[in-house]
This record gives sequence, C-alpha cells and structure tokens, in this order.
Amino acid sequence: MNIEKLGNFTANDAPKYEDILQCMRCGFCLPTCPTFALTGRERSSPRGRVALARAVAEGKLEFNQAMKEEAFFCLDCRACTTACPSGVQAGSLMEICRAQASQQQPLPKWQAGFRDFILKKMLPNPDLLETSMLPAQLYQKLGIQWLVRHSKLLKLGPKWIDKAEGMMPELHQPLRKQLPEFSPAKGEKRGTVAFFLGCVMTLMYAEVSRQTVRVLNHQGFDVITPKTQKCCGAPHLSEGDPETARQLASHNLDLFLDLDVDAIVTDCAGCGAALKEYEEMLSEREDHQRLQIFHSKIKDISEFLIEVGIRTEGLKPVNKIVTYHEPCHLCHAQGISKQPRDIIKSIPGVEFREMKEANWCCGSAATFSLKFTEASQKILDRKLENVKNTKAEVLVTSNPGCHLQLDWGLREADMAQPVLHLSELLGEATPD
Amino acid sequence: MVAKNILNRLCLKLGKENVISEKEDLLVLGYDATPGLHHAPDVVVYPTSTEEVQAAMQIAREEKLPITPRGSGSGLAGGSIPAHGGMVLCLNRMDKILEIDAENLTVTAETGVITLNLANAVAEKGLYYPPDPASQKISTIGGNVMEDAGGLRCLKYGVTGDYVMALKCVLPDGSIITTGGKSVKDVAGYSFKDLLISSEGTLAIITEVTMRLIPPPQAKQTMLAYFDKIETAGKAVSEIIAAKIIPSTMEIMDKTTINCVEDYVKIGLPRETAALLLIEVDGHPAVVAEESDGVQRVLKEVNATEIHIAANDEEALELATARRMALSAMARVSPSTLMEDATVPRSHMAQTFAEIQRLAKKYDLTVGTFGHAGDGNLHPTVLCDERDADQMKRAHAFFDDLYTKVLEWGGTVSGEHGIGMAKKDYLARQIGSGGVEVMKRIKKAFDPEGILNPGKIFADD
Repeated sequence: MNIEKLGNFTANDAPKYEDILQCMRCGFCLPTCPTFALTGRERSSPRGRVALARAVAEGKLEFNQAMKEEAFFCLDCRACTTACPSGVQAGSLMEICRAQASQQQPLPKWQAGFRDFILKKMLPNPDLLETSMLPAQLYQKLGIQWLVRHSKLLKLGPKWIDKAEGMMPELHQPLRKQLPEFSPAKGEKRGTVAFFLGCVMTLMYAEVSRQTVRVLNHQGFDVITPKTQKCCGAPHLSEGDPETARQLASHNLDLFLDLDVDAIVTDCAGCGAALKEYEEMLSEREDHQRLQIFHSKIKDISEFLIEVGIRTEGLKPVNKIVTYHEPCHLCHAQGISKQPRDIIKSIPGVEFREMKEANWCCGSAATFSLKFTEASQKILDRKLENVKNTKAEVLVTSNPGCHLQLDWGLREADMAQPVLHLSELLGEATPD
Repeated sequence: MVAKNILNRLCLKLGKENVISEKEDLLVLGYDATPGLHHAPDVVVYPTSTEEVQAAMQIAREEKLPITPRGSGSGLAGGSIPAHGGMVLCLNRMDKILEIDAENLTVTAETGVITLNLANAVAEKGLYYPPDPASQKISTIGGNVMEDAGGLRCLKYGVTGDYVMALKCVLPDGSIITTGGKSVKDVAGYSFKDLLISSEGTLAIITEVTMRLIPPPQAKQTMLAYFDKIETAGKAVSEIIAAKIIPSTMEIMDKTTINCVEDYVKIGLPRETAALLLIEVDGHPAVVAEESDGVQRVLKEVNATEIHIAANDEEALELATARRMALSAMARVSPSTLMEDATVPRSHMAQTFAEIQRLAKKYDLTVGTFGHAGDGNLHPTVLCDERDADQMKRAHAFFDDLYTKVLEWGGTVSGEHGIGMAKKDYLARQIGSGGVEVMKRIKKAFDPEGILNPGKIFADD
C-alpha cells in the first residue's frame, strides 16, 4: 500500500509518480490511439491522459469529472504501450485512475449498488453467474428473442440495450460444468497443461473453448480444467475495483500453482493479459518466486502451440480465405502478434490475407462498446472497412470481446463473413 | 481562460467544435516534447482552412491575444509552447494532401499533414520525399518547415528547407500571401520562403506548403561497422567523404548508447565497442555496388573491428535496429532525458565526442551520444531526473560548456531542433548582437505588434 499521498490522488491504489514522469511527451503514441483519432483532442490521447494524471499528481488539477471521463474513455487497448519509446503504460495508468474515480467520484447510489453487485457478487461466483444466464437462455429458446428482434421493440430504448441484446450469441449450456476436469491427450503425449476457462468463454462461447481443449488433446496434451477456478479479475481492473481483482487473483494463483502442469493455457486474450499481470497486482502480497513461476506458465493458446511446435500432420484442409483481427490484449498487452498468424498459415488449404490496421482496436474494449456506443461504432466501422477490403471469407480473432463486437458488426453491416476464434478454425482442421 | 465574448466570436467563425477552452484541454496543450517546459494557453482553436486561420488571427489581434501555432507538439525546443499564454492555433486538422504533380515533381499539402503520410502518399505515385525526421510518424509538414527539420538522410539529400518550393501563409496583419511556386528557378525579389523556413512561427502562419520531390533511389546497401576508438569512427566518416562517397545515411552511436540499447533489446551488440556506424548508400544499382565497395575499403583501412553487410531488406532493418532503438533505450533508463542538438563541421566530430566525454566526467553525468555523423549533428543525451535540481543544474552547465566549444569550432547551437524557448540564450552567443538585431528588425517588419509566438528565439523578448 502506498502510504504517502501523491498530489490529489488518494493513498489507496494510486499511480507511482515515476511511472507518470516516464512520459517524455514525444507524441509517438498519438497516431496509434483510436480515441485520439476520433476526437483529435489532446486530452483524449495517451500523452494527454498521462499529462492530466501528472497534473493531478502535482496538485495542479483536482481528480475531477474530466479526469474520470478520460480514464473511462480510454479503450485500454494498449496500442500506445507498443508505440511508446520510453515504456509508459498509459493503459495501466488509466486503470489505476478508474480505481481512483471509484474512490473520489462515487457513482449515484443505485449505480454503485449495481456495479458492486456485478463486480463483487456475481463475477467472483461462477455458480451465480451461470444461474444468471438461465433467463437469457430461456429468452432465446422460447422464441422471445425472435419476437423482440423482429418487432424492433428495443429501438425505442437506450442504444446500449438494443446493442447488448443484439450482441448476444446463441447461448449453450455453460461449459465449466460440462467439461471434464481431465481430458486425455491423443496420439503421442507431449505434456500436461491446465486450462484457464474465462467467464465469457464458458457462458457465451462454450463451443469455442470446447474446441480449444479438443485441439490441445489432439496436439498431444492432457488438459486439466479445475472447476473451482474463478474470474481472472480483468473486469474489476477495468472498472476500477483492484481489490476484488487481487482477491480473485490470489485464489487462482493458489489453485493453479498446486497443479503439476507444464503450462496454464487460455484462449481468452483478456484473461491471458490479466493473468500475466498477477505478478504486479500481487507483488505486495505474495511470494515473488511463486508469482514468477505462475507468470512463466501463462500462455495464450497460440503462444503455447508455437512454442511447443504445432503438429500439422493429419490436419484436414480448410479451403478458405482467412483474415485476422488482432485482439489488443493479445498483441499490445502480451506482445503476441506473429504466433496466431503462423498458426493460421500452418493450416492446409487456408489462404491468409493480411488486413490493413489489423492491430487497431475494434471498439469492443470491455464495456466501452456499451458505454460509448457511438464512438465504438465509428471504431468498428473502420475495422469492418478493412475486413471488407481483404475479401476474406472468414474473420479470425481470439478474444471473446472482439468476437462479440465483430460478429454483431458484420451482421449489422450485412457482411457474410463468419467470425471464428482461432481455436475454431484449428478445430475445423483437427480430425476426430 | 478568455472572456465569453471572445469565445463566442471564435465559435461563430470557426464552429463550436473547433474552439476549446476547458481547463483540462488547456492544461494538455501547453507542452511539446521539450523536458521541463510548460505554459497553458487561454484558448485553443483548430482552424480547418486558410480563411479560418485568418479569422482566428483577426480576433486575436483585436483582442490582443498572443498567437502560438502548433502542429503535433513534437518539437524539442519549446517552439509551440504558448510562452505568454493567449491563443494556440492547432493546425493538425488542416491535414489534406491537395495535389501530387508528377510533371513538376511537387506535392502541395495543407500544413497539418503528417510528414510520413505525405512521404507515403508520394511514394504510392512512385516519387520520393527524402526528409525523415525521427518524429515523422507524428510531426506535421508545417512544423517541419517552421523548424527546418532534418533527419537521417540529410547528408546526401538535405533538410526540409531544401525541399520547400512555395508557402501560403497568413501574416500577422491578416493578409494572405503565397511565396515561391512550382518554377525551379525563381529570383523575383526577396526570397520570402527562405525567410520563413525555420522562423518557428514568429513571422507568419503557414497554411499550405508545396514541396519538391525527386525520383526514388532504385537500390540501397546497408552496412554496420564497430570501432574500438571513437576517433577511429570519426576518421572513417571523414575518409569516406574524402573518397568522394556521399552515403544517404551515416549514423553514429557511442558506448553508453550501445550499452543502453543492449540492455533493452539484447541483440548481441558488443558492449566493449567504443562506437558504431550505420551506413547506407543508395542510388543506381551499379553506383550502389561501387560505393558500397568503396565504403568497405575505407572501413578496413581505418581498422574497423567488425563490418556487417546486409544481404537483403530484412537484414538491413536488423542492422538499423540498434540506431532506431537509441533514444527509446535511453529514455527507459531514466525518468528524464535531455537531448541536445550540437552540430559541428564534420571534421570536428571526433573532437566533439572527446569533449562530451570530458564534460560528462567533469559534471558527473551519464551521457549517451548518438546522431548524424555525416552531418556533424550529434545528440548528446543526458540521462537525468528532472526532480533532482542539482543534477539538472549540472546538466545545463554541461551543455553550456559544450556549446562554448562547439561555437569555437564554427558549429551551431541547433542543427535541427530550433531555438524556441530552450536555446534563446545561446543564439546571441552564436550570431552576436548584430545578428540578433537584424533578426529582430525582420521580426518587427512582419509582426510590428509582436503577437506572433512571442517569447521565442530572442532572449529579451
């Protein structure tokens, strides 16, 4: 815990002054920032946001509404981190500012209650979370969704409700309870991995993660999926509740370190990025060596398969033209950019076509797409245009947030390409 | 903050979306990339046409608001910082490329076009705009002209100013003039455009530029050489030029910089090496082959410890990695970096390096030096912490001493960054009081009321 107060930040979950000073204001981040591209306003750029935080730290600015707005308007896409010569983490800094906002700019009571309910009650509890999805499943199964969508009823309400409803994929039974705790390797065994199953994956993309496990088995790995794993904490960091994030992180850390596995694999870029941040999140609470071991084991599915070498013999050809959208939390937050492409190219029959600005955010960014529907739409339109220009038949990505946004966007724009997770594409090539 | 009626007038002329006066916006439009400098403006406007620039300037003149033009705020001497408050004129919404003229080999663009976008746009038409300042991904072409920005290719291709054909600008009295044109030759009266180049926004606001283009080189060859003494590297540079070879790039890095880069990217740079040179020759394939041989011969003659030749574009990129990473690597090591812009006649380069090392020791500072060896343009960079007042004092004393020597050797206090706010004191030392007086008279002729970018270039302004 920080004891000394830094300017107009509160002592709890405050940024470090050195991290802010690290910005030399060269402006190299500006052309990479989607929100700056939208507004052209310096305050909505990484350099501007860091400068605002610096003003707060130096007591020149209260932690006010504008600071809060910019903290939440930041997509946290980390494109600026990739571009920054001096290693400034503007995204992480804005996450910290969100935590400051929840202390210094409290929400109205009913909103705060709702936020706490989601962050502190629902997300940390997989059983509750799964039960809460039942109404949505019924809504789809009973044909109410069909009725709602065709009646355009939701066009009458706030935009985000209509969009949230529209984004919902076809729901299946949550995967967590169905997936066996142990799935054996096929063919010559190469090792054992643990599978970190993200909340959105189990609830909304059960089929994707089923393919991930199947692919891992086929690649020669026993897969252990612990049923008691909990949310990675990413939503909490992004909504300014680092304390709950740390509690969840501690739980997952203990759980996974107890397993005797070569790696901890995830197919959710957002989870992967958060899990790799445990080292920093828990640095004041946990043994440093344990954190290092944990960090070294976290692998995105693409990262893992390229590291161990993907077995391509026996793969079935997938005769499709494929393009790839890079999830920000994979390419910018984890620096994984080449591996997913290498995997796509290794599948027989696939013709890979690079899209322009593949590593430019799609506008999903956790709850950004619902909080800032218009800005999100503009960022999405830019992405869809780039997808369209490739004339690809399939759009591949590897993060559920992007998946929801792109799937919805393509449908709304009457574009025919399906969105597939990398695991699904690889699953298609993987024989039974 | 400015009075409500001024805001209203500005909004009426420029549109509400192009006028900004919220405290948080003003706070982040009072800096550029110069460490330690900040001054918030009172209002910021984003004109989208020459006429809007004119309108904004008229209101500023009537309301006695100082005007400071700004592109992307990537300058390194504080040129775009509103030293006296007033109005910041952000020109980055004037970002259209208006014409690429293949017959006359020119490009005409609005002032706020990003340099790299301009270079890429002409490259698509098979043409070449050589100036490549390190900040080209973000700097604006107007800002480049105002600071006469350099880059890595200046030795062979010259600086931004060498490419200016015509400028359209608004003068402080509100008149719009175009100076220069597409004619290769033009001696009609004073060469106004040359007066405007590197005037740092103190004489007029440029709204449109026409730049000269050339056909791109057909081939290039990249080489990297290591040296066990910095003097040897300096000698190599002189000998290459003496052999009548003008490489397109000749970049140098010293030991401190090499070690910072190696700490950061771990690409196997030899830590004991005193200096490295990154050399590129370009042009017709036959010439490239001949010049490449010539460079290698010189490198062997002066006893470079190692020479690497890139076999293809990919390898060329790899060889250039260390140089491209130089500033990043040093910026990561310390909270602040004070990067300077000392430039000497090429023949004095090795001496300058020796002086830098001597002074770094004297003032107990860590200084990494890299730069454009072919131009004698060095960027000694002090790794420091702006919270450490004593260290900052020593850093400034270091540069003070260094510039004394640089001027003794016939060098300049700024090769490519400009004077701005940061080097006002040095200017008089270089050009003398007579020189300053003439400059001030020119300034007065353009801007009798002194409303355009006050507080820049001249010390007692």
